[in-house]
Amino acid sequence: MKGWNLTRRGFLKASGIVGGGLVIGYMVTRDGPPLPVADIEGALTPNAFLQLTPDNMVRFYFPRDEMGQGAMMGLTTLIAEELDYPLNEIEVLFAGAHSAYNNPDFNLQGTGGSTSMKVHFLPLRQVAANMRALILDAAASDLNVSRSSLTTHDAQVIAGDQAFPYAQFIETASAAELPESATLKPKTEFKYIGKEIARIDGQAKSTGTAEYGIDIEVPNMHYAMVKRCAVAGGTIKSFDAVPILATVGVTDVVAIDSGVAVVATSFWQAKKAVAALTVEWNLPELANISSQQIKSDYQQALQDEKGDSYSEGDITQGFTAASKIVEREYWAPYLAHAPLEPLNAVVRIENGEADLWSGTQFPGVAQGLVARYAGLPKEKVRVNSTFLGGGFGRRGALTHITEATQTAMATNKAIKLIWSREEDIQNGFYRPASLMKIKAGIDERGKISAWQATRVGGNLTPSVLGVVLPGVLPRVPSGITNLITGAANSVFDGWSIDAVSIEGLIDDYDFANKEIKHITVDHGLPLTFWRSVGHSYTAFAKETLIDELAEFAEADPVEFRKQHTQDNPRLQQVIEMAGQAMQQWQNELGRYVGFAAHGSFSSYVAEAAQISIENGGIKVHKIVCAVDCGQVVNPDVVRGQMEGAIMFGLTAALYGNIELENGAVKESNFHNYPILRMDAAPTVQVVIVDSDEAPTGVGEPGLPPIAPAVANAVYAATGKRLYAMPFRL
Amino acid sequence: MTKFNLNGRAVETIDSDDTPLLWVVRDTFKLKGSKFGCGIGQCGACTMHLDGIAKRTCILPIIAVEGKSVTTIEGLGTPENMHALQAVWTEQGVPQCGYCQSGQIMSAAALLETNPDPSKSEIDQAMKGNICRCGCYPRIKKAILDVAANRKVKKLQLSEVATGPFPEDVS
Repeated sequence: MKGWNLTRRGFLKASGIVGGGLVIGYMVTRDGPPLPVADIEGALTPNAFLQLTPDNMVRFYFPRDEMGQGAMMGLTTLIAEELDYPLNEIEVLFAGAHSAYNNPDFNLQGTGGSTSMKVHFLPLRQVAANMRALILDAAASDLNVSRSSLTTHDAQVIAGDQAFPYAQFIETASAAELPESATLKPKTEFKYIGKEIARIDGQAKSTGTAEYGIDIEVPNMHYAMVKRCAVAGGTIKSFDAVPILATVGVTDVVAIDSGVAVVATSFWQAKKAVAALTVEWNLPELANISSQQIKSDYQQALQDEKGDSYSEGDITQGFTAASKIVEREYWAPYLAHAPLEPLNAVVRIENGEADLWSGTQFPGVAQGLVARYAGLPKEKVRVNSTFLGGGFGRRGALTHITEATQTAMATNKAIKLIWSREEDIQNGFYRPASLMKIKAGIDERGKISAWQATRVGGNLTPSVLGVVLPGVLPRVPSGITNLITGAANSVFDGWSIDAVSIEGLIDDYDFANKEIKHITVDHGLPLTFWRSVGHSYTAFAKETLIDELAEFAEADPVEFRKQHTQDNPRLQQVIEMAGQAMQQWQNELGRYVGFAAHGSFSSYVAEAAQISIENGGIKVHKIVCAVDCGQVVNPDVVRGQMEGAIMFGLTAALYGNIELENGAVKESNFHNYPILRMDAAPTVQVVIVDSDEAPTGVGEPGLPPIAPAVANAVYAATGKRLYAMPFRL
Repeated sequence: MTKFNLNGRAVETIDSDDTPLLWVVRDTFKLKGSKFGCGIGQCGACTMHLDGIAKRTCILPIIAVEGKSVTTIEGLGTPENMHALQAVWTEQGVPQCGYCQSGQIMSAAALLETNPDPSKSEIDQAMKGNICRCGCYPRIKKAILDVAANRKVKKLQLSEVATGPFPEDVS
């Protein structure tokens, strides 16, 4: 099959598991570790990303991960544009693990923080433009014509009325010097960037042929499931493997760091056996904690008023100038990510080498984890990435890679580890719970004169370091990595504020006098990034209070926001746009409207929600969303991400709640951890700012405004302000 | 041993009677398009047609499939010969992560078989058993309406989809 080729067959071929032979080789480079790109005879491989084969095919080693956010489409578009190669015919391959594929924002090979387009927009275009220039140089030489007489069109060099495939010039190009700063196309000449083109991964994902980690099979593979302590951090006291080993299909029962792994010849056998296994646990302190306790501890901390603060202007002066002062508290619970593909990994260790097949947000960290627990140098671990069946931050915490590796080592078998949905909801990493307090003053002119915000809760950075460091530093003993993580914990408890804990709480508006305070209280439930991170709860607090202040100032909520964004013109513009679009809605009996705006990941979003109250519940009918994410590479991908982030945020606003009882998560599956379904999904209209600014985040910024927009609409409908998520009338 | 018809082919399996159809299709017959999402019939990622009716196969023991006909996403259409729903899904960029989409399409195909011109609320009712964590619902609904409007829906007859691909056993 010609063309985009990440179908089952194409992927298997590229990842080297067809027929058991390894197709993929390791290119030897002059310096640094070898690149994990295919060793194809006669191919031109000028860099880590692109390869032109003798049959004029271009292979693009996609350096990020594709978890639904459209980065594969976006980055391939950049290559097609500057290489002048048909977009739909580029063969896209998930890059292996190598520092050449690091995300410049993280200095790690990672995908997250809505960074993919932001960090690659210019560099990947440059890579493709340089390769096109190299081919043109070689063509000029081979054809003995001037370089300026040549041009390109769809993978061909055009010389007068003759056309030559790029591949014809591979030999000369291979010996020539690679240009480093070929001129990039001006916007007026774009063929693909900014155009309405359907995603290249759409067909594979509509025909069941897109391959995810859970679909991988290798010869003699066994299936593993793990019994973990219901309370995070619990360790094994004892277990009885004997009756389980007598179960049909079960081959091994082994203790690993996180629990007891049961290995069988089929998934169903492993699932039944792990359910029958009894383990006695040593329980951690968290086992004494329930949700009520967490809330009251946070409340106590808020009253004690200890913590770290940062201020701008003169907060005391600001409150003195105020004619009205309001103080409100907001609650946001722990949340699970619940990507639809449960976590999984396939690990095979043999002959001093290892292979990992999995879809992760950190392939480089995953490589380090396999290396650490298989006792191999990193270079001996191949990472074969797949599509991710949803990420949302969850596939950045890679303990499942450790589990699969430890199980493979303990059993000397190729292992496919699969988590159940119940494990996903109950044994995972969570969006931190937060208690927030904002005290704000408005003066007689209706201007906000003081904004003082406090957040109580756990910090993400130390928790994330704890899971990432063992993979980043595979040769450093766990005692040392634990020490570093512990140090990070201390830094954010008395020394400094973890930026992601409070991001978005005091930003966006013209607050001349503002103060942010953070109080760290952490009961030990593992935490990690969750789509839009701190913004997922700070926007709810900030934007519902802004709505209250507008009311006190007797101002229209849209106008009030515009008045307070004089110093933030890009946010002001989307407020204006969403406000105008909202005006087009007809007044319908029983329908009410709410508004919110929030900047995150360097993008700006405003949303209006139209709701009604039906059978005592909130029914969300329509959303309008205005977004400024800089220059747009694919408008349909942007619209899709806004739509998706709105649905994701609605799930959190209307249902999302992880509760602890004696340290264990009470929710277990979609019947008691509900996800928004089609009958509750609103229609969404997205308007995009036409911008020439550098591209910024798209995957996350649509989420933060939706909860407060709905909360503000609920106030319009009922006269009742909402101060806690999920919303209860 | 259970015998049944899979995408137009007679097959048999020695998987234990309580093994859910999903795992038999995925791991015994190597058709990976149908997905595991919840294991309790709550998310619809595992949806297949059993004698033409959309079923949650993660909770359907293989013994209950004896003598019946099963159609999976691979039997509905292939990249080279897509079902109308798959074609519109592709053209309109419906999938994001894509993991739920086989199940969504199988539910939509079963709906259009019995109701070729569904209203929006009929679509909601037929599709609310399928979770999309990426939130592609507005696009899924539009795609179904467009397929219905274009009257492109092929009559799904098992005799016509006998070419269900059985990729070579990778093990």
